[in-house]
Amino acid sequence: MNKFIISKKLYRNELATFYSFLIGFLIAIVIGSIILLIQSKNPFDVFSLMLKLSIGSVNSLSNSLNKAIPLILAGLGIAIINSVKLWNIGAEGQIFFGAIALNFVYINTSIENSYLYILLLLASGFIGGSICIFLPALSKVLFGVNEIITTLLTNYIVFGLTIYLINGVWKDPNSLNFPAAAYVSESVYLPTVVGKLSSGFLICILFTLIAYYIKDKSVFGYEMRIAGGSTLTAVYAGISAKQKSFVAMLIGGGFAGLAGAIELLSQTHRVSTGISQGFGYTAIIVAAITGMRPLGIFLVGSLFGALAIGGSVIQTIGVSSYISDIIQATTLFGALIAQFFFSYEIKRVKDD
Amino acid sequence: MKNPILEAKGISKSFGNIKALDDVDFFLKKGIIHGLLGENGAGKSSLMNILSGIYIPEKGTLTINGQLIKRLNPDLASSYGIGMVHQEFRLIDSFSIKDNLTLSKSNIYQNDFNEAFAKYSDIFALNLNSMTPISELSVGEKQKVEIMKLIFNNSSIMLLDEPTAVLTPQETVQLKESLETLSQEDEKTIVLITHKLKEIKDFTETIYVMKNGKMVAKDLDTKAVSDTQLIELMMGEVKTSKFDKNNFKGDTKLEAVDISFTSEQDIKTLQNVSLEIKSGEVLGVAGVSGNGQVELANIICGIIKDFEGRVIVKTKDVTGKGVKSRKKLNLSYIPENRLGVGLAPGVSVLDNSAIKEYFQASFGPHLSKNVLLNSLNDLINKFSIKAPDIKAEISTLSGGNMQKLLMGRELISNPDVIIAAQPTRGLDVSAVDSIHNLIIDQRDKGSAILLISEDLDELFKLSDRLIVMYEGKVITEIETELATVENIGLAMAGINE
Repeated sequence: MNKFIISKKLYRNELATFYSFLIGFLIAIVIGSIILLIQSKNPFDVFSLMLKLSIGSVNSLSNSLNKAIPLILAGLGIAIINSVKLWNIGAEGQIFFGAIALNFVYINTSIENSYLYILLLLASGFIGGSICIFLPALSKVLFGVNEIITTLLTNYIVFGLTIYLINGVWKDPNSLNFPAAAYVSESVYLPTVVGKLSSGFLICILFTLIAYYIKDKSVFGYEMRIAGGSTLTAVYAGISAKQKSFVAMLIGGGFAGLAGAIELLSQTHRVSTGISQGFGYTAIIVAAITGMRPLGIFLVGSLFGALAIGGSVIQTIGVSSYISDIIQATTLFGALIAQFFFSYEIKRVKDD
Repeated sequence: MKNPILEAKGISKSFGNIKALDDVDFFLKKGIIHGLLGENGAGKSSLMNILSGIYIPEKGTLTINGQLIKRLNPDLASSYGIGMVHQEFRLIDSFSIKDNLTLSKSNIYQNDFNEAFAKYSDIFALNLNSMTPISELSVGEKQKVEIMKLIFNNSSIMLLDEPTAVLTPQETVQLKESLETLSQEDEKTIVLITHKLKEIKDFTETIYVMKNGKMVAKDLDTKAVSDTQLIELMMGEVKTSKFDKNNFKGDTKLEAVDISFTSEQDIKTLQNVSLEIKSGEVLGVAGVSGNGQVELANIICGIIKDFEGRVIVKTKDVTGKGVKSRKKLNLSYIPENRLGVGLAPGVSVLDNSAIKEYFQASFGPHLSKNVLLNSLNDLINKFSIKAPDIKAEISTLSGGNMQKLLMGRELISNPDVIIAAQPTRGLDVSAVDSIHNLIIDQRDKGSAILLISEDLDELFKLSDRLIVMYEGKVITEIETELATVENIGLAMAGINE
């Protein structure tokens, strides 16, 4: 009789995560093509149009990269928190809360120098993200409450708060009854670099490097890895796993909050429900596909930004924009399956 | 004499290169409480897992009720009435006692649950409503429900793996009475697996002893066998090989004064333990595991802080201070649990190699990978560690190399004080030798060494002085020269001449 056992491979190809992503992406393109064929569309035409309109010109490329900013920043935050083997499902709420915190500071302060003011507003976005994850972090380290549940639920609370604010105290009387807060002054808009590319993208590059440094090059990152590997080893080494988890969660939440601040200052220019279109959730996909590696998150985040732009433009030829959502989700699915085969082997054993 | 209800003959089982069971025979007689004695890693649990159908033996035959069993699996084992209580409870916390007891398809008291529950609650002295959720029960009560579950699942052969480890002394006495009632009135066949001598003598009628995967004694009459005999069987032959003991001893480097500790389960794990170790001296701690050794080591190393008494390292009082205060005084700890405490699983060889002194590779918030790499290369060369890929997970190393990495990491700084717990457990002969040489080298360099071990051979070979711990107390202290296997063995059983 033959039996199959699954065992973990001791050695993993260094580039396994990258190959897994490629395989996943390929599978996604194939499945996307099948769906298009069923709808009697030529996949080649659709994809080449997507390509052209997402990276074909300076303008379309900058649209794509602008779209990538929140995906990358929130993804980096998720990756930092995952160093201690915790999951942040609350990036969506943290993005909104970053924008809310920014608006709160904007309403209550005023600085002449617009560069200093922008810096202050970005910082308040970051701190807003940290505040948003503060209670989940506290209940995690004090009572061991599952952070997946608490961060997820915080999303609903923050979204409710946003709705309340933009329909109530912050409602812009000039918005023709559209629920949104008042626009911020043009002086604090994030300047563009090339074409429509927001300088937020430069901040994004900077924070990718910061996240890479924290995770791979710093003492704190090392302590997070040990604490994530085994709480008992951390105790033995004199590392407080709770303290590392707490700080990691505040930093990770801050990254997502910063994404909300950049989104407000460069795209929406006001608090509205349009601050995020599920970026916080897509960021989980981005982070998971890359195995929580900051540089990978930067690349895959950029690609996903392009996919989102490509998806929205193909609507003009009668193709649903959901095709890009399908591609994103199938890429994760395919990549995870491929990662499984890179990490585990299935052996056939004969017994008796 | 009754015919055996279960007969296992010539059972062998290997895991990789390690022979967990080597030609083991085991017989159970109906309605009798059997004891299975052995050190950690002697093969007791492997044997039980074979009887309950979890492991498939490579060789050997199994006969239950006179019927030869070709191939056992857990389902089949339970249909033959074999049930096991594992060390970790397998109860569903959010379910009631009743739901847990009646969950299995082999449950026999579906209709007359209440009478059965009343009857066995009486036997186990369990005063609880059957609708109480498991999560509200104390550890001792959960243990009782676990054993009751076997009865409700119609098990006639009950395998109990270290059932008293979590119990208070009073609960242990109670358990003994319950098991006696079950064996006499219900004719249950019971196997008590333990490494505690006192309990095996109290609870059982017949004793089996395992050592290194072999059954070294079968069907001993509990009343006729002496503690010393059992200790000798359990410890095996003690060789006389010794290192040179004319080592120079200097100033006192480690002092523990009047240490007492009560665990979270309210068990007095340590009572008034005092010890003193000089530079260049090895103090061996003998004792059956679970008598307070781990707690003592954790207190000295700063992991447990809420104890009574004082810890002094190199004339500096570090009572109440944490792990890092000890590291600054150059104290090293080689914990009993290598992978999980000493080394972090899932983390790379490189990261694991730096756990003791990673902050020495730091410049502000920056951690220099070059410094880490250089230190690891030093370790690999100096302690001849075989690490094919330093970026791969620590579990890619063999057990011996893991222990060498751990030892090397803790010893390379030439520590003033070393606490080593079970440093050679589970290692092959050549690895054991090289670890012993490392300890002696370090002794000669002037370290004060506390060596906690269950291996008498190792203790006699390396220690200058020996203390024996029993139920949280130091029951004997003696120069190794004057010690004999007999008097140490008796002290381990709690008998102090």
